Amino acid sequence: MKAGSNLENVLRSGAFAVTGELGPPKSGDLELVRKKARILKGFVDAVNITDCQTAIVRMSSLTAGLAALAEGVEPVMQMTCRDRNRIGMQADILGASALGVKNLLCLTGDHQKFGNHPQSKGVFDMDSIQLLQMVKGMRDEKKFQCGEEIKGNEPSLFLGCAANPFADPFEFRPVRLAKKVAAGADFVQTQIIYNLEKFAKFMEMVRDLGVHEKCFILAGVTPPKSLGMARYMKKFVPGLDVTDEVLARLSDAKDQREEGINICVDIIRQVQDIPGVAGVHVMAIEWEEAVPEIVKRAGLSDRPEPKGIEPVLSSSSSIEKAVEDARKEVRIEFEEELERARTEAQASRELVIKEKEKVASEISDLKKQIEEARTMASHKEAEVRKLTEEIQKAKKELEASQAAGPAQAPPVAAASPPPGPGAPPPPGGPLTDREQKVLESLNLGLQALKSVLGLDDSQFEALRRFLEAEFMLQLGQIPAPAPPPPRPPVTEPAPPVPEAEPAPAEEAKAPRVEEAAEEKTARNKEVVNLVAKGNLALHSGDYNGAIEAFEKALSIDSTDEKARAGLADAKAALQKALSAVKEAPEEAAAAPEGLPPRPEEIDEQWWKEKWVIRYTAMGNVALMKGDYDQAVSAFEKALALDASNEKAKAGLERAKNRQGIFIPEVKAGQAPAAVKEAEAAPKPEAEEAAEEKKEAPPEKPVEEPEAKAEKEVKKEEKPQAKPAAPKIEISAPAGEGVGEIAVSPLSKEEPPLSERAGDIPEDVYKEACSGAIQSVTLGDGEKAISVGGETALPFYNFEGDMPNPPRVAFEVLDSEPEEWPDVLTKYFADCLGDPAAWAKKCVEEYNAKSICLSLISTDPNGADVAPADAAAVAQKVVEAVDVPIIFWGCGNAEKDTETLREITGRIGEKKVCLGPLTDANYRTLGATAMAFQYPVVASTPIDVNLAKQLNILLENLGVHLDHILMDPSIGAVGYGLEYTYSVMERIRLAALTQQDDKLSCPFIVNLGREVWKAKETRLPTDGMLGDQERRGVLMEAITASALLLAGGELMVMRHPKSAALTEALVEGLL
Amino acid sequence: MSRIKAICCNYTLSVEPDALKSAGLVPEDVEFERLPCTGRLEVPELLDAFTQGAAAVFVVGCELDKCHNLSGSRRASKRVAQAKKILEELDMDPGLVEMFFAGRGETEPVVEAARLMAARAARAKKAQ
Amino acid sequence: MIIAERKKLGELLEMVKGCRRLLVLGCRGCVAVCSAGGDKEVSVLASAIRLGLSRQGKEIEIEERTLVRQCDPEYIDPLNEDASDFDAVLSMACGVGVNFIADRCGKVNVLPALDTTFYGANLSSGEWKEMCAGCGACVLHLTGGLCPVARCAKSLSNGPCGGSQNGRCEIHPDVSCIWQQIYDKLSGLNRSDEMKNIMPMRDWTSAGHGGPRRRIREDLLP
Repeated sequence: MKAGSNLENVLRSGAFAVTGELGPPKSGDLELVRKKARILKGFVDAVNITDCQTAIVRMSSLTAGLAALAEGVEPVMQMTCRDRNRIGMQADILGASALGVKNLLCLTGDHQKFGNHPQSKGVFDMDSIQLLQMVKGMRDEKKFQCGEEIKGNEPSLFLGCAANPFADPFEFRPVRLAKKVAAGADFVQTQIIYNLEKFAKFMEMVRDLGVHEKCFILAGVTPPKSLGMARYMKKFVPGLDVTDEVLARLSDAKDQREEGINICVDIIRQVQDIPGVAGVHVMAIEWEEAVPEIVKRAGLSDRPEPKGIEPVLSSSSSIEKAVEDARKEVRIEFEEELERARTEAQASRELVIKEKEKVASEISDLKKQIEEARTMASHKEAEVRKLTEEIQKAKKELEASQAAGPAQAPPVAAASPPPGPGAPPPPGGPLTDREQKVLESLNLGLQALKSVLGLDDSQFEALRRFLEAEFMLQLGQIPAPAPPPPRPPVTEPAPPVPEAEPAPAEEAKAPRVEEAAEEKTARNKEVVNLVAKGNLALHSGDYNGAIEAFEKALSIDSTDEKARAGLADAKAALQKALSAVKEAPEEAAAAPEGLPPRPEEIDEQWWKEKWVIRYTAMGNVALMKGDYDQAVSAFEKALALDASNEKAKAGLERAKNRQGIFIPEVKAGQAPAAVKEAEAAPKPEAEEAAEEKKEAPPEKPVEEPEAKAEKEVKKEEKPQAKPAAPKIEISAPAGEGVGEIAVSPLSKEEPPLSERAGDIPEDVYKEACSGAIQSVTLGDGEKAISVGGETALPFYNFEGDMPNPPRVAFEVLDSEPEEWPDVLTKYFADCLGDPAAWAKKCVEEYNAKSICLSLISTDPNGADVAPADAAAVAQKVVEAVDVPIIFWGCGNAEKDTETLREITGRIGEKKVCLGPLTDANYRTLGATAMAFQYPVVASTPIDVNLAKQLNILLENLGVHLDHILMDPSIGAVGYGLEYTYSVMERIRLAALTQQDDKLSCPFIVNLGREVWKAKETRLPTDGMLGDQERRGVLMEAITASALLLAGGELMVMRHPKSAALTEALVEGLL
Repeated sequence: MSRIKAICCNYTLSVEPDALKSAGLVPEDVEFERLPCTGRLEVPELLDAFTQGAAAVFVVGCELDKCHNLSGSRRASKRVAQAKKILEELDMDPGLVEMFFAGRGETEPVVEAARLMAARAARAKKAQ
Repeated sequence: MIIAERKKLGELLEMVKGCRRLLVLGCRGCVAVCSAGGDKEVSVLASAIRLGLSRQGKEIEIEERTLVRQCDPEYIDPLNEDASDFDAVLSMACGVGVNFIADRCGKVNVLPALDTTFYGANLSSGEWKEMCAGCGACVLHLTGGLCPVARCAKSLSNGPCGGSQNGRCEIHPDVSCIWQQIYDKLSGLNRSDEMKNIMPMRDWTSAGHGGPRRRIREDLLP
């Protein structure tokens, strides 16, 4: 194996090899190479990549070969001697081999005369045979052509050459092939074979020379694509012997391509039978698609499994794969990291658990001890009982003996203990000897009992007295005074041991013992119970419960020390627990100051402040939740860091006084910001807010118009509302609906900006504009309005002037609207078909300052009302109202020209505004407008440059910029508002800050029609979307307000309510 | 005044040029030069004629195979061909130099050649 | 012999357009033999330049002269004396002559009137053909005296290539395949077996790729 290429593998395995040919593109389009490679893949063992065949400049064979290799197709890189000298060629050979090319076909190359650069200098430093020698030397001897050693990797290449059996002198051709093989060729690909007879003869001669045993011979075949191609090859390709038979077959064929493939397949079949032919080289020039078919039909499609095809460089897909792999690796690393972190976390968790277990085991030890003590106690109880029984028995016996006679000594008498040292003299009358003896033995028994039970003296004394008393009773003597019957302490039920509470055992025991000791003191049972309950709660961790119990106990008996102590304990414990709970997570890794470790890049002071703020906020949150203890703790912590923090102090004060923040109806867990706001706001406002909240449950359909109106007023209103704000009252149309359209003006910003800015110098926040917006006047007489004229961005009153407030024009249709929702039409129900009345209503009832008459009926695609008829309507409207009127055409440039001209003809001098002017009709309409000095609407589709272009065109025509309103085309909210906004903003900025006076016209914003065609304004009232009218009104008002901020100056709107809202907004902002 | 230079051999110009002119057969501004044989003609002479102001130059030699000096007119025609190439290289109309053949003593071809060349010269002048 | 060919008049007129006095200088060596730069050609060229410039409305004074050779100092050195007052010397010698004048005559502005084309033989009157490339490493003994370097389009050492057909080279039907000729020649000499030998890669240093060449014959040095 010389190079281990797939081709070499196939040939050496004895399989009949198939190679293909791939001509690189005459461009840098690697995809073409990949495409061809993919066609050939799987049908050939290797593919020749030609080296600027016929001397036409193409992508280099090395590059294209690598691309093929990356596609999984093994390249046979062709190398000619025409274009490089030995230096360049060896360099490329090294590179090719290094990049995974394993087959090299050595050629002299076509003369440059044939190519597209016949003026070039042919190099021909060597010929193909010398090239073979050179590469063989590099491969086998590790030597460069000059003889210098190749240190490191030598090229590993399976060497090929070409042979033309049909060139002259014929008899020399096999000899020359032998020379090539001697020079180093491992395989041969012949010129295209059509003349099989001649080829067979050639092969015979080759065999005579034994060349076929020294190299693999692949017969070259080509499917003639057409008769023309075959003729061309015969005539113009030297050494290509296209036989007459082939020409005849093609000329007779119905489908020449099909026949071409058949011819090729036939030739393959025939060359297969020629001894010494090891494979075929299928050259389908610019017809790669034919190769799979040829290979299939020739029965050669079962290619051996490719071996040794390993791209060193990668195709884009494999790069992607590599990237994916790398990503995976990173992910794995990341996951390992994560796993490590997780393990660590697990470990620490386990540590905690272990600690817990340790504590738990300690607890259970203690429990066990208690249990043992209890068991022991019960054992002792049993013993006591037994002894008592015995005593009882003895007593009975005694009684019996008493009854029987004094002579009879009870059998137990011997077992009776001697009288104790402190045995009291028998009360009452003198005892008999026997009785004395019995008592003594009783005493002895009790002594024993005392030692067994470990009773203290008082207990013993109590027991003794009890027994004595009993005894005396039995005797009929009652010792006086009788002490209360003591329960044996061991029988006192132990308080239940708190289950999972790792309370210290001492603590748990101590009060119990104390309690037991105090049991004797006559205490109010209630108090005792409460104390016990308190202690129980205390130990079970319910500090609040404990406090409550103790406090109750104290309320009954304020002197009860026990309860007092318990209360103190409980409070302390509560405090401790709270701080522990709060600090545990943070203080685990706390810095000495009790703060989490400060990141290095953060200044210490700042870090502290940060935590002061955080603690204060935590305190406020706790306050809000009513968790005062936590609040106290948080504020205290804050104060510990910054003792002078007023907020923390105030918070602490409030927390200590159990003074929450009054936030009615606010659920716990509300965002702290909201709380802060609420906190900052005066109480009444908060209350009002709450009220409003109550008033506006989202599901509640607004049916009471008054309530709703009121609510809206409230919304607009600020608590410190100006005294008796003038309300714009709009009478409601009869019947249901929004009703009163009353919008109170917005309150104006109280302190001026300069005040609010504080110490910030003016030049920091003020940026005066260098440009100004044109002021355009619409209408005439008293009702004329001007828009524009600003020298600052919209409502930037602190930067410049806004002499004319933006205005609202009510849209009136020239015919009855077809698709308006009821919530809109109801306001104009009485005048919908009558534009003049409609306009009049707008002006008189809804206080319209301007009317925009939409000439929708003129649309040629709609009603196509004649210009004259439309003009008549327009004239009526003009006569009906005295406010400025905008005539807005249907949008068909030609029709609008006709209609608007007709209108101007009728109304003459009265100053109306015409629109829309587009690039299609600005000339005619511009001229008309100019004649009457009308302002015009220049309409462009959401584009800065188009807007400017149209303004320039109009100006060139003679229309002054102060007669132009720009319509930038509108998108309603949710329907592209942002595009409109940004285009308007850019136009405005260009006009104001870049002195682009061609963009300095005011905007007319025809938004009503956009909003009211949105489906949201048409869907009926429902639970999810809420009230239909309110929805539509808000959509229109919001669109208007957004576009006001973008610079809109004349807003064409439909709904009286949204118009009122918009005007209120403008009023409020100015 | 554009001149036309005519070069003839002893055998092709048997009539006095002035007689031809006065007979109105050839234009006045044709200047004749008579050589013993056109075979003696060299390219520089043809070119120099132009340099000296000729608008057109023509050579009249014996008929190719009937030259008095066997190959004189053949040589002349090769010189004329060379001169034509040079005129071409100089962006001139190669038709402004021409070789004509005439039988011994024939005047007619000379007259025709003169008229033809006068016409070519006039055309060339117009074209300028 | 060195074969050369006069440059196009347009190119030459451009070269001399600024000259008022011009010396057109012929050579009686190779270029005279190949009728490119001898006395006659000097005369024709001088006339042509006069005509060309006169048509441009320019006047020029042209002197015509022809040297025995322009590649020998003894002929060109006098130019230092009598040619320095010409605005230019338009040499009609091969490139050797132009170079030599340029080398030796510091004050002479020498211009080439000819393109020097190849080393060729005169096949017949008016036809010359390349026979040698001056590669400096003759292999003619191996090729029956026929030069593959000069006469094969690809300078093959081991031809003929697959483009040889009917004795013709594929690049042009007028061009014969020299390797076919070599094969025929060696076959005729019963030396066709020599064609089986692989000719090793050439050393092109002697062909000028090793820099300008020179030759020294010590016994003749002064």
